Amino acid sequence: MGNGDNLQGALDLLILKTLQKGAHHGFGITLHVQETSQGLLRMEEGSLYPALHRLERDGLIQGEWRVTPNSRRARFYKLTALGKRGLVQAESNWQSVALGIQRVLRST
Amino acid sequence: MTVIWARIKRWLNRDAEWREEIEGHLAMRQEWHQARGASAEESRMLARRQFGSLIGTAEKVRAVHVRAWLETTLQDLRYALRGLRRSPGFTAVACLTLAVGVGASTAVYSVVDPLLFRRLPYPNDNQLVSLGYFGPIDTNEFNVVSSYLDWRAHQRPFQAMTSMRPAEHCDLLAGEAPLRLDCYRVEASFLGTFGVKPLRGRDFTEDDDRPGAPAVALLSFGLWQRAFGGGEGVLGQVVTVDDQPTRVVGVLPKGFEMPQLGDADLLMPERLNPGLPRAQNSSSFLRTFARLRDGVSIEQARAQMRSVFDEVAQLDVPPQLRSEVYLVVRSLRDRRIHDVKLASWMLLGAVLALLLLACANVANILLARAFARRREIAMRAAIGASRGRLVRQTLTESLILGLGGCLLGCAFSWALIRPLAYLAPEGLFHLEQARINGRCLLFAFAVSVCAALLFGMMPALEWPRPDALIGWNATGRTRQLSRKILAAAQISISLVLLTAASLFLRSLRNLETQPLGFESEHLVIASLAPSTRHYPSAAARISFFNELEARLSRIPGAGQFALADSLPPLGAARSRPYSNLRVQGHPPVAPHGGMVLFRWVTPGYFDTMRIPILAGRAFREDERTSGESPLILGASLAHRLFGDGNAVGQYIDLEASGHWWPIVGVAADVKNDGLAQAPSLEYYRLRMKTSAPPDANSFAIYRTSLGAAALGEWVREQIRTLDPALPVTIQTMDQRVDRLREQPRFIALLVTLFGVLGLFLAAVGIYGVLSFMIMQQTREIGVRMAIGARPRDIALDVQKQAGVWTIAGIGAGVAASLALAGTMRGLLFEVSPYDPRALSLAAVVLAVSAGLATFIPCRRATRVDPLRALRHE
Repeated sequence: MGNGDNLQGALDLLILKTLQKGAHHGFGITLHVQETSQGLLRMEEGSLYPALHRLERDGLIQGEWRVTPNSRRARFYKLTALGKRGLVQAESNWQSVALGIQRVLRST
Repeated sequence: MTVIWARIKRWLNRDAEWREEIEGHLAMRQEWHQARGASAEESRMLARRQFGSLIGTAEKVRAVHVRAWLETTLQDLRYALRGLRRSPGFTAVACLTLAVGVGASTAVYSVVDPLLFRRLPYPNDNQLVSLGYFGPIDTNEFNVVSSYLDWRAHQRPFQAMTSMRPAEHCDLLAGEAPLRLDCYRVEASFLGTFGVKPLRGRDFTEDDDRPGAPAVALLSFGLWQRAFGGGEGVLGQVVTVDDQPTRVVGVLPKGFEMPQLGDADLLMPERLNPGLPRAQNSSSFLRTFARLRDGVSIEQARAQMRSVFDEVAQLDVPPQLRSEVYLVVRSLRDRRIHDVKLASWMLLGAVLALLLLACANVANILLARAFARRREIAMRAAIGASRGRLVRQTLTESLILGLGGCLLGCAFSWALIRPLAYLAPEGLFHLEQARINGRCLLFAFAVSVCAALLFGMMPALEWPRPDALIGWNATGRTRQLSRKILAAAQISISLVLLTAASLFLRSLRNLETQPLGFESEHLVIASLAPSTRHYPSAAARISFFNELEARLSRIPGAGQFALADSLPPLGAARSRPYSNLRVQGHPPVAPHGGMVLFRWVTPGYFDTMRIPILAGRAFREDERTSGESPLILGASLAHRLFGDGNAVGQYIDLEASGHWWPIVGVAADVKNDGLAQAPSLEYYRLRMKTSAPPDANSFAIYRTSLGAAALGEWVREQIRTLDPALPVTIQTMDQRVDRLREQPRFIALLVTLFGVLGLFLAAVGIYGVLSFMIMQQTREIGVRMAIGARPRDIALDVQKQAGVWTIAGIGAGVAASLALAGTMRGLLFEVSPYDPRALSLAAVVLAVSAGLATFIPCRRATRVDPLRALRHE
């Protein structure tokens, strides 16, 4: 997990959080993030795939080829046990980072 | 296995996979845009723009994987090295065991590689074939001049066909002492056919090769260096070869090899003469080689040569022999390794079996180590290391061990190759050429990596159970089983090696006790080959040989003396077809008789050699000055011709010529064709004083109490006064006979060495497995002893366990030995490859060694202190 890099941490967190609800392919993840953030967040698609592969390499998620309802072959990712634990940690990390930033912003 | 394969495939397909993934993404995005009303083209553009750089993403994805791979590899390496450094004893034993296997394999490989695998030193070597008649006359295919000329004129499958005369000695006069050289007469097309160009000067031309052309010669690189100091001035120089002024026209490249692997110092044109009468050319022998046309196989060439062969054989092969002679076309490689092919494969197989044993031992050690570290590994698995990672780490460790074994093994093989070359029979296997070269190092490397993967797999596939963390009874059943199977496999491989060793040793003993038909002790041989050019006329030769005999027989204290033109047990004796013999007053003998050997001897021959005369009498001195040369038959020939009837007093015709010779005696059979062959048909003719032997070779035989060196001095002295230019070689008969046993002795020695090493490895393996088992069962044994088991029961139990797999291993080994036995048949002499004695001897030796190996662990088991064993937890 990219503890040191909060931006990357954010991307990972979004991916993991999205997958918590069930397996998704890459495009599905971008759609989901855009919709649930009501258009506030837009994933950079070029960075999504390296992140997915990195997360898979680290054993947080696992990819699998499946067929979409539109009968297109796509690689679906799902959380592993390690990924679930990672998500819990990443969430709390993010909470504390967000809290920290908020405090800094308020202090001025 | 399928899982591993699927992984490998995924690894290879990964690029294609993520490309498909991204293309899918783009397509879905495009559909998304289209669903919102954009045109197809527009949607495509939008999707692409939104995605950003495709290539950049590709690079990033790839970097994720490459970096991951590098990181884990480095991590594995560090981890493995740390682990190995922590247990230096284990590391050393594993490396050394492996080094023995790799070292021995590499040494043997370096010997057989040039024979079995290396390319021959000619361009497009797979096009080269040896061809000729194959018959009872020679162990290799040969040809005769008249047939060869016809074949060459009418052949279709070859780009080129060429010929050479069998090896001969020639004398080069350079300085005072004549140099005795190995010379070959070859056709002008010879070097060209093999694709060899002279290093200096020129090749022979058609003009050099015509009868009566001025004599020219090509020097070998070695001779050029040795006798001419490698000077450029040698070209065009006129030297004296066999008393004939000969111009040097070129020097052969360094490392030039004759196609049949003979040593050549000098090549001279062959000068076949098609103008000679056919009868003369058809009894003049050649070796013939050819280069196939592109795309023609050896089988096709053989088929295409068939009709020419049949036609020409009608002219050149005597009708009685025709059914015994057939056409041979075979690859040059087969021709070259004819004698040692089987032995080479066998040695390679034996040494690889030894390597397998070493691998099994290392696997055993690794398993024991994995057991000792089971908690550490289970812990790592519990905190999330994937199975693949653990397998990779174990394999990395074994690969490091493998590389260590490889390095040590290379050093070991390098040390081994010198003594091997020293022990090996001269010329056999061409060991003087065996080198640890790049190919051998590559072999050692490949073998070590394979071995490492092999023995690394065993522990890697053992998945640590979570209960390993608890500590109590932490062994999986499978691990126990795999160790037992390993031990049984070691026993069976070792049994195969031991059986082979005992077969070869028995075969060797049979060879060494093989009666020769004469007594080889105290015989000293002086071989002389007077140049026929010195004594061109029959009269000159007669007086030379008579004088020679008189001088040689006068040597004081020399003992019994005889002269012969060839000697048993191996030497080019003269021969003629059996079917040419006629017995006076009998119908012609049956065809298919093979060849009959004969030699010209002086009357002392039978006494000196101690060959018993079975019937009639030996030759007498007074018969030598007048009349016909009488005959003495060898026992086999007498039996073949006369059955149990009396041969003495009969007359036979030797060459269907109408001339009848009297038989005065029958002598016991001697070994003529090596030690392993049945006695050949043979007769003796008396060497007359009134006629000279038809050609040069002569052997002076002494039965003497003098040493070879002392007698040799006398003989040389005598010959020097007679003809200073005549070279002499002195040898004892035992030395000559011994050469025939060198190959079997060498093979027996090596296989026995491998067998003993293998036995040792197997015993260590059994010991290891048992000690390990007892270590594991300490608590169980403790409990049993606490509730009243006697040490004897414990020992019996351990032995029972060991006995089961020893017996299983021996059973498998016997089956494997029997299955492999057939392949060894050609290498054994008077021992059946299924010899029950050899098999049971090997089995007993193994069982005893296994018993000894269980002894210490057994005692350790009986000494388990129940209190301590139980408190241990």
